[in-house]
Amino acid sequence: MKQVTFVLLLILGVCAGASAQMVNRETYLKEFEKRAAFVTSIYDTIQAPGYYQIAVRYAHNKEIAVADRMFKELLRDPRGDMFWMIPCIGAYLVGKDKMSEETRAIVRNAWKTYAPYRGDTENHWCMYYSSLYLAAEQWPNLPGTEWYNGKSSEENRQEARDYLIHWMKITTTIGQGEYDSPDYFPEYAMPMFLLSEFAKDPEMKTRGTMMVDFIFADFATEHLDGQYIGGYSRIYQPAVFKPLLSGASQFAYLYLGTGEPTNSGWVVLPALTSYRLPEIIYDIALDRSKPYVEKERKRVRNVIRFGTEKNPPVYKYSYITKDYGIGSLQGGILQPIQQHTWGVRYLYGRPYTTIFGLHPYWSGWEVGMFFPEEVKTLIADVVASKGTYNNPDKWTGGSPFERTFQQKNTLIVLYDIKPGTTAEHIDGFFPRNLEERIVDPSGWIICKAGDTYVGWYPLQEYEWKEEFEAQANSLNAISRPQMERVKETGNWRLRSYKLQNGYVVEVRSKDEIGSFDHFKAELKSHIPKATLIPGSVSVRYTTLGSDKMEFVFPDKRALNGKPVDLTKTKLFDGPFLSADVGSEKLTITYKTKKLILDFKAAKAIE
Amino acid sequence: MFFCLLFLAVFSTLRAQQSTVYASVLSTKLFVVGAANPETGLYMQQPSEDTVWHHLGPRTIREFGVAVHAPSRGQLLCLASGNGVHRSTDGGKTWKITTGWQITEVLCVIIDSRDPNIMFCGTPYGVFRTIDGGSTWTECNNGIKEKFTSSVIIDYTNPSVVYCGTEDGVYRSENRGDTWKRTGLSVGGVRVVVQSPQDAKMLVAGTDDYGIYITRNGGQYWEKSEAGLDHQTFYIIVFDPNNPQVLYAGGYVTGVYKSTDGGTSWKRKNNGLSVLNIHSIAVDPTNSNRVFAGSMWGGVYRSDNSGDTWKYAGLSGSQVWQILVEPF
Repeated sequence: MKQVTFVLLLILGVCAGASAQMVNRETYLKEFEKRAAFVTSIYDTIQAPGYYQIAVRYAHNKEIAVADRMFKELLRDPRGDMFWMIPCIGAYLVGKDKMSEETRAIVRNAWKTYAPYRGDTENHWCMYYSSLYLAAEQWPNLPGTEWYNGKSSEENRQEARDYLIHWMKITTTIGQGEYDSPDYFPEYAMPMFLLSEFAKDPEMKTRGTMMVDFIFADFATEHLDGQYIGGYSRIYQPAVFKPLLSGASQFAYLYLGTGEPTNSGWVVLPALTSYRLPEIIYDIALDRSKPYVEKERKRVRNVIRFGTEKNPPVYKYSYITKDYGIGSLQGGILQPIQQHTWGVRYLYGRPYTTIFGLHPYWSGWEVGMFFPEEVKTLIADVVASKGTYNNPDKWTGGSPFERTFQQKNTLIVLYDIKPGTTAEHIDGFFPRNLEERIVDPSGWIICKAGDTYVGWYPLQEYEWKEEFEAQANSLNAISRPQMERVKETGNWRLRSYKLQNGYVVEVRSKDEIGSFDHFKAELKSHIPKATLIPGSVSVRYTTLGSDKMEFVFPDKRALNGKPVDLTKTKLFDGPFLSADVGSEKLTITYKTKKLILDFKAAKAIE
Repeated sequence: MFFCLLFLAVFSTLRAQQSTVYASVLSTKLFVVGAANPETGLYMQQPSEDTVWHHLGPRTIREFGVAVHAPSRGQLLCLASGNGVHRSTDGGKTWKITTGWQITEVLCVIIDSRDPNIMFCGTPYGVFRTIDGGSTWTECNNGIKEKFTSSVIIDYTNPSVVYCGTEDGVYRSENRGDTWKRTGLSVGGVRVVVQSPQDAKMLVAGTDDYGIYITRNGGQYWEKSEAGLDHQTFYIIVFDPNNPQVLYAGGYVTGVYKSTDGGTSWKRKNNGLSVLNIHSIAVDPTNSNRVFAGSMWGGVYRSDNSGDTWKYAGLSGSQVWQILVEPF
């Protein structure tokens, strides 16, 4: 009973702190401790074995024998590759001075006998090598016969170090490969947290801390109350229309106090570390007093065939206000399977706080660009783990037939879809809980989501389809009172079967444009002019902000008569973050504060 | 004395006919990175073991290929895997990954039978070579345009000559991979290149979407082999080591094709095959009637009559990327 009361009190306490008001450093640190206590609170009571249960028991100095027993049980038959390595070494490092000699020996032996798969993508390699690095530091001077891969401690440490330095270098010169991923944020954050806390080598420890800062700074400039503003490299279907389900949002809750309370396992080990978010990153994450544009350059993960460049550039453009954010990638295939090219996200109406569109494309060619298995059978391979990949109704994925052009809070999306391709239609997602969804005779679809207004002008005829969802998706979060109150009956899908297609999206807040009626009136006098014939798709449009946009598919963009050259995009370019391509240096600025993350020198300078 | 001699003679004959089958299993249908995946990797058996296979080495590392050093009677083995090139010098009891982080998703590995310190591997990032048994690996893609490499072979008559099949054709090197020139075959998606055991100038290439090509002059000119072929995607082609007129080929929904005229014409030989996606084929060098076919997610099939009929031979549900049969 006492335990239940304690947890309830914690929830009440953390909910009160989840209003995302900017607070001073002292208050922030106190509230952070409360949230950290909350996110770890249930793990030392769970009786089922698990690495987080083990780590928290060691950290809380509670039931050490139970933690030892769990470790022993879990390591009887380890599975999970790098998803095993990270929590295993994390739990070990948290508890190594408290566990029994026998448990220490069992953990050591697991790193001799279980050979994890290294994976085939950046988050896999990042987790694999961070764990291996820490393990090699823990057990130095051992010959290859004592390691699962036959390499000595020193060989493993060196190889892991080389990879990690390489990854940090490319990330800080040409951008992250699995960029801005709400769902894969933890897979990068967690290993960097562990390096930051546990690396013995002072340089690697500093680099780990700097990478956590880097990842958080990137997120801080592009989130809205814990929701990552799209586009993204990777997102899973539940989180694409229920943004607060994502892993990044769980970290946002812990480190920023935004979003909703969560007890996700991903945040447990970070919550046990001594890392505290630098004040300057907290400040930029919470300050939405003025709208701003954030431009970033990322990169496509390794293209291994059907392409001319190993890591083509990704250009991301976001516009963020206190009420909403709209962001876009330039379009095309910029990541396999789970790309989210553009989206609007706003505060109103959890859990469906988003409007977005896509061409739900899939092909062996697309996955063959990134995976080495046989092209003809790759789709079946992919569907084994990403079940919606070849579903024409899916809500994630990029398309070679899609391009975007964004200017502040106006977005144009064009499509010139090859006949016979998978999914000969485009879709738009409109949540069911919008206050208004008006189909105006002018052609605009005009939506109201609290203080955020969204106009969508389809360039071709379309139809509405009602979506149904079997049940609320309760992934990850254990306490989401708002979500439980929502009766989930389905959302709206705008579907258009025209292959030469597109739309214009205008987003404004009440603060920006006044009343919803005024927004409606403004839209009616702004009608795009489009040419939509195969091989010649273009649109001319004057925005509500009086900017003249001309967009010719695929990549000819002009703003107020001047060509837009995306190739000049910096690594980070916004009011808070600045970094040149190739620089290895991120400068974070907020009012009079400054933090420079200099990866070349492995130094953070305030 | 007579009986002793007879026993020795019979024993020697039996021993001479013994062979070992190696199967490299990439995945099962259930493979998901990070999940509790079923066992995959390297398996071996004696043909007499029917459907029984014995696992060797790491268990879930996305293993594409295997190389066996025949002169060492299989003591030296290499694996091509997602984790790199693994090497064993004790017949698979212990292993070491010889490559570093740069070499990943290794699709094939070969050992120079004359000098086992020399090995090549093909990867999505091109060809890599070691000359010191794997202590160091060097990228050697000079001259290769599309680096994705599915197949590498060393000319058995001249170890300086190496061929590789990439995404834009078949390349030839005359200096052990230091530099490459594209041969006369410039189609995309070359999946396999093999050399005739009788005529080193005769090469056969299987491609994804473009069918089978044959050269009889070391690659200068290639001819498309079409007679009898209803398919265009071939992942594996092998010669019968005892009869270079006999070839087998398999690929996407092809089942097994057989040629008895050196690749000029082909016939489908699918009696008993319940899976038609074939990724690997091997002929037993001690008995040409015995042929193994590794399917994609259907395990291994075996024929004891040169492909006329097939029967299931184990590794249920497996994607068998490569099969080798060695005469020991």
